[in-house]
Amino acid sequence: MSEQQVFDALRTAILEGDDALSTRIAGQLGGDVPVLMQAVDVAIGTIKEVGDRFGRGDCFLPEMVLAAESMLAFMKIASPQLEKATGKVRKAGKVVLGTVKGDVHTIGRDIVATMLSASGFEVVDLGVDVAPMDMIKAAESSGAQIIGLSALMTTSMPYQQETIALLNELQMRDRFWVIVGGGPVTSDYARRIGADGWAADAAAAVRVCTQMLSSQGQPSGASLIYEERGR
Amino acid sequence: MTIDRDRILQVLDKAHAGPVYRDKDFNLKVIPGALARAVKKYGLANTCDPENPVNRDDDLADRYYHAGFEAAVEIGVLCKDTSRAIRFTPEELQQGIDAAPSEFWLGEGSQRVCYKHRAPEDPIKPLWTVPLSIAVTEDVIVPLVEGLARIPEVDALEGPSLETVWGRPLRSGSPYEHLAGRYQADLMREGIRRAGRVGMPMDAVGSSTTHYGVLGGYGVPGGYRPNADLVLILSIADFWTSYESFFKLTQVSVCGGSYISASSWCMLGGYPGGPEGTAVACVAYGLLLWAIFQGSRCGVPPFDIQYMGNCGRRAQWAMSVANQAVSRNTPGVLHSINNQVAGPCTKMVLYETLVGMTNMAASGVSNVVGTRSAGGRLTNYLTPLEHQFGGEVYKAAAGISREQANEIARCFIPRYEDQLRERPDGKSFKDCYDVDRLVPSAEWQRMYDEVHEEALRAGLKL
Repeated sequence: MSEQQVFDALRTAILEGDDALSTRIAGQLGGDVPVLMQAVDVAIGTIKEVGDRFGRGDCFLPEMVLAAESMLAFMKIASPQLEKATGKVRKAGKVVLGTVKGDVHTIGRDIVATMLSASGFEVVDLGVDVAPMDMIKAAESSGAQIIGLSALMTTSMPYQQETIALLNELQMRDRFWVIVGGGPVTSDYARRIGADGWAADAAAAVRVCTQMLSSQGQPSGASLIYEERGR
Repeated sequence: MTIDRDRILQVLDKAHAGPVYRDKDFNLKVIPGALARAVKKYGLANTCDPENPVNRDDDLADRYYHAGFEAAVEIGVLCKDTSRAIRFTPEELQQGIDAAPSEFWLGEGSQRVCYKHRAPEDPIKPLWTVPLSIAVTEDVIVPLVEGLARIPEVDALEGPSLETVWGRPLRSGSPYEHLAGRYQADLMREGIRRAGRVGMPMDAVGSSTTHYGVLGGYGVPGGYRPNADLVLILSIADFWTSYESFFKLTQVSVCGGSYISASSWCMLGGYPGGPEGTAVACVAYGLLLWAIFQGSRCGVPPFDIQYMGNCGRRAQWAMSVANQAVSRNTPGVLHSINNQVAGPCTKMVLYETLVGMTNMAASGVSNVVGTRSAGGRLTNYLTPLEHQFGGEVYKAAAGISREQANEIARCFIPRYEDQLRERPDGKSFKDCYDVDRLVPSAEWQRMYDEVHEEALRAGLKL
């Protein structure tokens, strides 16, 4: 199989959500650094294409999640090989994500978790109905840099604010970037409660998380990194 | 008819004995797999017709019903608290559907209203419940409810929901929510009294995100009335349920109540996939909710994940075919929701309303709850005027043909479809209404008048 055929097969494996095939391809690549790097670029390009198609409504959540899983299966093998060969660690960062207390909605958080994972972030998904202190404990124990708080109900939004208030009172605010989101959560609200990031959709959330981690400053909630829809 | 405790226990038994699933397997394998098989078996692939957003084909609607019934039996509903699927045999599911009343009365005195089964193109006047549970501040809830209850086309009240209780944030799942249940009943009733419509039925409890609001407000002295109001059981996600929903059901049972609204939504573009899979999912999940929660009224509208509403072409089409499927093949009282994304004081919210309400009236929906002004995103962004328009359109559309509803959709969707993702928020109640006199601003009134005129020209007898 030529290199191009391998890359085409990898692309197909991700587009079709075939994690067994993407795992097999990763295993066949060996330690050839230029080829590995090219294959990783193909994987990243393909998952971005899937994300764009999802954003346009041309593909749906199951396809996107399966594509992301196929991509992750590939990266699980390819990344250590690349790290070993180059000595460089290629990780975007770690995010602890949860739907806040009193709220059991899942789908928005599922999409954000999928997009973050596919973009190289390590995601610790705490699920739904997560109390503020549990969110902080998980961030602390996992070594995450970012806490993501999802709320779909106006009556659960106060728990986003309370998580930030707890971080302040525990004098831990500068240790974690906090991004908030969800149907009724606006950028104004995010700013008001002292969040660091807000995004209108999952694709924007990935860019905001990336921007937060590449920021020179420390998390403080003093200024909001945010992105509206449609970019 | 009161809630059957044995049926509750049978369903709870299933929730503790059904097959176990991991969340991901249920969402990614069970739901899409069963829906894809049903779509294929009944030849439904590529039947969505975005150019004609209201289905006019009875045979197609019936095929969606049969596909939905089979998918319901195969998928069941996953209980979050037990990680087990509640599944019915075809016979059990049919019994649950057949047990649904074809009509029932709510309210008291002169405000009693009859919820009746409707078929597509049925001339029976449907009922209009307002508003959705959109957050409002405590200072506006009573005048807002008064303004809504004054609208003659309004039959019942559901929301809004409170942002705070006595100045404190209403935190879901907390004692604040428990207190809010009864508090909301008091505030709603005061607004109704001021409007001169004492006895009007209410849906309990707009502010009850979890079960605590219902426990605090329904069946308690001075609260929501077990035999005049209904309890909302809004499930959490496509084919999911939880103890929270069951607590609402058991509260109705222990209070001797009779009436339940069991509803949810299916995400178009989410786990059910495209419009065809979503329409099958809406049918399937709706049938399951009837069987699980003994609903007096049930319904599952689609919600397009691309813009978090359902006034676009694909969602309108999925809504029309799913509603027709259920209203043609079951005896029950079908409920649905028009999910607008534009806010008050915009023409867009009125166009979205015009399209959605005519579609639902022509597709056999008995009771719509709305308006989702500004997509329900913003505190205090709802006014009586868009609800008045919704009621006028819904009632005027009783008896119109699906062909006419389709023509209205074809005419008005182009006015807003390119703004669904970048929708205008419009203005808040305080910014486009005289809150003391309960009259709209001249700007908002003019928009209403112009769209009202367009609706008349489109053939609606408003």
